[in-house]
Amino acid sequence: MKGTNLGEFEEIALLTILVLKDDAYGVSIKREINEQGKRNISRGALHTALSRLEEKGLLTSKQGQGNEDRGGRPKRYYEVSNKGLAALQEAKEVRDQLWSQVPAFRLQ
Amino acid sequence: MSKLNPHIAPPAFASRLLRWFCHSDFHEELAGDLEENFLKNTEIYGLKKAKRKYTIEVLGLLRPSVIKKVRLFNYQNNTAMFKNYTLVAFRNLSRNRLFSAINILGLAMSMAVALLAIVFVTEIYSFDEFHKNKDRIYRVNNIVIKPDGELSVPYASTSLLAAQKIREQVPGIEKVASFFKGFYGDLKTENETYSIEGYFASKEFFEVFTFPMVQGNPETALTEPYSLVLTESTAIKMFNSTDVLGKTLLRRKTPYTITAVVKDPPRNSHLRFDVLGAQSTLASETRNSVLTDWNSMWSSYAYLLVSENRNLEQIQASIDQIAKEENAKSQSLNAKLRIERMSDIFPGEDRWNEVGTVMPNQRLSAMIILALIVIFSACFNYANLSIARSLKRAKEIGVRKVVGAKQGQIFTQFITESILVSLISLILAFFLFRLIRPEFLSLDFYISRTTTLELTTSTYFYFFLFTVLIGFLAGCIPALVMTNFKPISIMKGIANMKVSEGINIRKILIGIQFVLSMGFAILVTLTYKQYQFALNFDLGYETEAILNVELQGNDFDIVKSAFIQIPEIEGISGSAFMPSTGSTNSDHAKIESKADSVVVYSIRINEDYIQNLKHEILAGGPINDDLQKKQMIVNEAFLKQFELGSPIDAIGQIVDYYNENREIVGVIEDFHYGTIYNDIQPFAFIQSEGYLNYTNLKIRSKDMNSTMAKIANAWNSIDSNHDLQASFFDEDIERTYKDLSSSMKTYGLLSIVAISISILGLLGMAVYTAEARLKELTIRKVLGASVQSLVSLLSKNFVIIFIVSAAVAIPTSYYLFKNTIAQNMEYTINIGFWELGSGAILVITTALLTISSQAIKAAKANPSESLRSE
Repeated sequence: MKGTNLGEFEEIALLTILVLKDDAYGVSIKREINEQGKRNISRGALHTALSRLEEKGLLTSKQGQGNEDRGGRPKRYYEVSNKGLAALQEAKEVRDQLWSQVPAFRLQ
Repeated sequence: MSKLNPHIAPPAFASRLLRWFCHSDFHEELAGDLEENFLKNTEIYGLKKAKRKYTIEVLGLLRPSVIKKVRLFNYQNNTAMFKNYTLVAFRNLSRNRLFSAINILGLAMSMAVALLAIVFVTEIYSFDEFHKNKDRIYRVNNIVIKPDGELSVPYASTSLLAAQKIREQVPGIEKVASFFKGFYGDLKTENETYSIEGYFASKEFFEVFTFPMVQGNPETALTEPYSLVLTESTAIKMFNSTDVLGKTLLRRKTPYTITAVVKDPPRNSHLRFDVLGAQSTLASETRNSVLTDWNSMWSSYAYLLVSENRNLEQIQASIDQIAKEENAKSQSLNAKLRIERMSDIFPGEDRWNEVGTVMPNQRLSAMIILALIVIFSACFNYANLSIARSLKRAKEIGVRKVVGAKQGQIFTQFITESILVSLISLILAFFLFRLIRPEFLSLDFYISRTTTLELTTSTYFYFFLFTVLIGFLAGCIPALVMTNFKPISIMKGIANMKVSEGINIRKILIGIQFVLSMGFAILVTLTYKQYQFALNFDLGYETEAILNVELQGNDFDIVKSAFIQIPEIEGISGSAFMPSTGSTNSDHAKIESKADSVVVYSIRINEDYIQNLKHEILAGGPINDDLQKKQMIVNEAFLKQFELGSPIDAIGQIVDYYNENREIVGVIEDFHYGTIYNDIQPFAFIQSEGYLNYTNLKIRSKDMNSTMAKIANAWNSIDSNHDLQASFFDEDIERTYKDLSSSMKTYGLLSIVAISISILGLLGMAVYTAEARLKELTIRKVLGASVQSLVSLLSKNFVIIFIVSAAVAIPTSYYLFKNTIAQNMEYTINIGFWELGSGAILVITTALLTISSQAIKAAKANPSESLRSE
């Protein structure tokens, strides 16, 4: 079904949010992706992805407390929804299945 | 924005940009994230690089998912809201009758001026638009190269020879229509004589221009000599019918055959004629030099119809070549030919020898600028009063905002309101417009000769469009001010609100208005003084009680013998034209013993003239009728120019002037034969030699009416065909300065409008200030303040504005006067304190009276009235 299929970046974003547990907000997600994925994404690109995921219902978010470091502005914390978990699971299964069928010599 | 260290903050511009474009749902979160990152980056990379990174990030956020949704007209309950806005607007208008009246009246006055400008400009720009080939028609202008190499002002005219050469030699031109402006005089049918005006036009005339035919064939109508084309109205006037082909009319005893009837040239054509004769007729007439002489460029015109794929540079180059060849052949004229687009003719640059009256570009732009000034002044009024009164409406706005009105909606509301006001003003303006239209048409001859100011459907449409635009302009500033009210501060209490920004805008707006009012008032004063100065200028001879009668072709001696019997006429003399009325005549004069020839101005007179007009004779005496001995009388400047020494020494000198050797028989004091635009140059009176056009009657009469009746009777006894054409010399001089009096009228009209508008606005402000500070004033009064101190308290702020405005207006209007009206004048008034100050003082006095009337009213009110309520 179209819509539940995850894009590559979306998958990375969801996984990062899971990794960050309770501390998943804009800056930390971006930092994590930049470090682990060895890639440099802009805040804008991340915003687009996150809002699309939220629209699809794969993410939920809530507003946190303001913070001196941020000029008193609140953070928005993201959490993966059950639907999101399912989508990740499905993506992983597809990949695992495919990986298991790749002949071993091809990988050497 | 960091509170820890104000120096470590993201670039203000970038964060403002973000706030501007970012959807408010995300702004907090994104701005916070960026700032957190920024602080970290500052530690890692330093402030400069962090700032750059921040800016890049902000720009990276420019994407559809982040940007605000622009929803201008996406209100679901559109009509309902507009209904509500209108209702509220009407309630507001009727609640504040005075302010509404001031606003509507002010707007209406300025809009009437603007309507005038709209009608005027649309009419001017509709000129010559009816020609089908208007984009491909060009006119040939002559520019005379003077002996010293200087170029003359372009002439609209050119020679018929040039037209013929272009017709024969220049490629890329489809047709050349040329015409000679000499078809005037009388046309005779069998028993009637009609006076007409028209052109001798070449046969291509109807192919280049679009003047549709009623009868006849446009291609052949002007081919044969002595063919004649009548306009529809001329045909009906003469024959009561347009079915007149083949009939003949007599012009100068020669029969012309009517070959066609055309529709009358429309009002908006710069070419106007009653009849057209075939240009080929000129070849068989005696003055055929008109067709073949490079020098006869004074009243003939050439219009080119260029082909679709024209190359103008090439055409101009071939025409230049023709000019070069002809200049080499001609001894009397050295000229350039230049082509000019049809659309640049009317309105256009200044040209000499125009076919008809052309509206100069400067006049048009002056008109537009002046109208705009007046309009802005009225818009300022509206803005001023609305801002001033906005506090009273703050609660309404606050409630609307709290209930959920967006900024755009508040803005729309106030714009709707101001457009409503301007629509109401339009109705009033329309009536005012009808009132001032005749005044405007008689303002000057450029206007009265070219425009009618008739209203058309498109002008009504422009009116409406303009009104909406004015509503928007006037409502813009107050709408913005009110949109920015913060509901929280409104709810906290109006008293705490700071509208200092509004006050500054208001001061500036009032200031600008008063600069305009004073500027106009000063210009009117200066122009009026200059006009009076010109009329009362000491010319150096007497013009009083001199009645100038046009001879209209009659013999001077016959006219004189008729007039001499009237006892009230003390003196009779004759002249070719009248000095000091703008006409001049000149030729080169040469004295054998002196090296250079000099341009000398002159007027032909008879022997009684000098005495009749009381010229001061320095030596010698008046000229006489003796035609054997050619005589002239010269002025002092003439002596100086030719270095002839004392007046006595000059008598007897022989001067070669107007193709004759003339002897100087008298010397007179310098006098002003020109206008205040010219200084005194060498001048001579020469013998009439039959060239008299005027007789000057010196009249002494107690009963001017009966004297005039006697003069008219005497005239009728000698010439029953023409009416008496007579005017007093002083009237002629007055007519000479028509230009000055028309700018005076223009400025006068505008200053009345501008001053009324600004005084109206000021009245509104004064009423408002007095109302707003009523409690303060009454408490002061109760505590013992005098009426004077209260009045000065209220007026103080305004007085400062007036002084600043006067300081701006006085030098500006002085400069404008010197550089526009008095630009070419040799003799101007001395501008002193009163000339400059009186206009400003008048405006300030009126303004102060307005303010103090309100202040006194407030100060005199019974304190208990206003204090009782609390």
